[in-house]
Amino acid sequence: MKTLDWIVLVTSLVSIVAYGLYRSRGSDTVDRYLLAGRTMPWYAMALSIMATQASAITFISTTGQSYVDGMRFVQFYFGLPIAMIIISATAVPLFHRAKVYTAYEYLEKRFDGKTRTLASLIFLCQRGISAGLTIYAPALVLSVILGWPERNTTFLMGATVVTYTVLGGIKAVTWSDVQQMGIIFLGLLVSLITVIVLLPKTVSFGDAVFLAGAAGRLNAVTTNFSWNDRFNIWSGLLGGTFLFLSYFGCDQSQVQRYLTGKSVAQSRLGLLFNAVAKIPMQFFILFIGAMVFVFYLFIQPPLLFQHTELARIAGRGDYPAVAESYQRAIDQRRQATLDLVDAHHKGDTAAIEREIAEYHAAQKQIDQARTQAAHMVTASGGEKDFSDTNYIFLSFVTKYLPAGIVGLVIAVIFAATMSASSGEINSLATVTVVDIYRRIRPRAGDHHYVVASRLATLFWGAYAVIFAGWGKHLGSLIVAVNVVGSLFYGSLLGCFVLAFGFRRVGGTATFVGMLAGEAAIFWAFLFTGISWLWYNVIGCVVVVSTALAITYFAPASGASASTARGGMPEPG
Amino acid sequence: MPQSPDADEPPFLGTWRRVYAAILIYLAAIIAGAYLFTRAYR
Repeated sequence: MKTLDWIVLVTSLVSIVAYGLYRSRGSDTVDRYLLAGRTMPWYAMALSIMATQASAITFISTTGQSYVDGMRFVQFYFGLPIAMIIISATAVPLFHRAKVYTAYEYLEKRFDGKTRTLASLIFLCQRGISAGLTIYAPALVLSVILGWPERNTTFLMGATVVTYTVLGGIKAVTWSDVQQMGIIFLGLLVSLITVIVLLPKTVSFGDAVFLAGAAGRLNAVTTNFSWNDRFNIWSGLLGGTFLFLSYFGCDQSQVQRYLTGKSVAQSRLGLLFNAVAKIPMQFFILFIGAMVFVFYLFIQPPLLFQHTELARIAGRGDYPAVAESYQRAIDQRRQATLDLVDAHHKGDTAAIEREIAEYHAAQKQIDQARTQAAHMVTASGGEKDFSDTNYIFLSFVTKYLPAGIVGLVIAVIFAATMSASSGEINSLATVTVVDIYRRIRPRAGDHHYVVASRLATLFWGAYAVIFAGWGKHLGSLIVAVNVVGSLFYGSLLGCFVLAFGFRRVGGTATFVGMLAGEAAIFWAFLFTGISWLWYNVIGCVVVVSTALAITYFAPASGASASTARGGMPEPG
Repeated sequence: MPQSPDADEPPFLGTWRRVYAAILIYLAAIIAGAYLFTRAYR
């Protein structure tokens, strides 16, 4: 990075942290520290919800995903607007009326203490692991750019986020998120413009889109159905709806964003803004990845974008043959691409079809060479299941983007990490204090719980940093985060479906249902090839059907204390 | 007596039901647009 990049990066980060801490003044009670005194306007919540979800992983890994697999990942988000509508209509008014700090606090009002504790523990387990991955992604960036060991960069990122979250509470988190989303939007726009400007002068934007389409990178909608296919319109609409219902309806890191709202209407607007904006945003990020792919049709891409792993395998005896085969295929692909652009300009359909076939033949050889190189990395003692996807966009940014813009993109990645990670750590601390600690020690003073919340934030920050070391074993990070979430979300979702929709079902039946749901999900994960997008559906269905069966066949044993008293207590 | 949170009205379209319907129509339009985009450039 050049001096100008460092100036842009440091200025952006300092202003974000300073602004967040400035807006967080007065967070000296539990209500203000954890829920901002329920005073936040809809636009702050909307951007905070978006920022918490859009971590650095979104930026780094989604572009790489588009580079290798095209834009079909966007279908994953098709269920999001449906989920937002359901949550706005059901969970938001119930949580507001109950005046709870956490989603799981509501479960005790509805069911019983053990159901609340189990749901809290499932959340702490899942979100704790995800928080580690959220920090790992930008640590990876710093590691590649500065050449530092990953554990040092992981610690640096974790320490920064923890300090700022401990001091400011949720107000600092939310107002920083607003500014961070501004930087993220700016960085995305500048990245797209830059990659298009960097294309050869003979290649117009229309040509670039045509080439991306011919290369199969604009496959935004695929209608073929398969249980094992992660991204198609059906898994997106059904599996995605369940996943986002779980994430936005049952995950405290998101629920806490809209619990800070001034009113039900403000919270709903915050969620519905995301229902409208999220798909176009993801489309835009994936499109940047597709344009980076087109850029590398004309400029020589490395065999592996992870340069340290490439250096590791360069000395192997079998490397020269793979490198030679790769170079030959790259030359063939470049020639096919140039001929394809020429045929496109002339409108020669027969030549277009011929050159597309040439292109795909060369691309197949390139993919084979890259796969062989990845195997060589593993065989040489590198990462097991090595994935190059996460390094593609970063490699492009640092090599080809001009001074100043590199700093801006790195600031985007930092901003995204800070927003996602601070939200996660803040919510983990909230659940720890409200759902676990406050029940063990219920009569302490307000100041005591504020101090406990700060200490819990510190603990979860340290936990996330330790788990961050796990990230490199999980392949594409964006997928890894969602896989981890899907292992736990289905059970939580089933629990809340029972809470909102089935008044006769009690705490014990729900508790047993959740255990059965988790067992079913782990069975699907360990012993079947079913895609992770379906785990939420499986978990939710098993929880609900098990609890209903228990309620039907053994109503006395399935009843909770509140049901035994005559149904759901009036919240709040 | 405090106003029920459910009484909060949306700032546009009059009722939440209409807002939700508008978002579903928007989703259908987005998917149709993405499908046409895929067809046009494959």
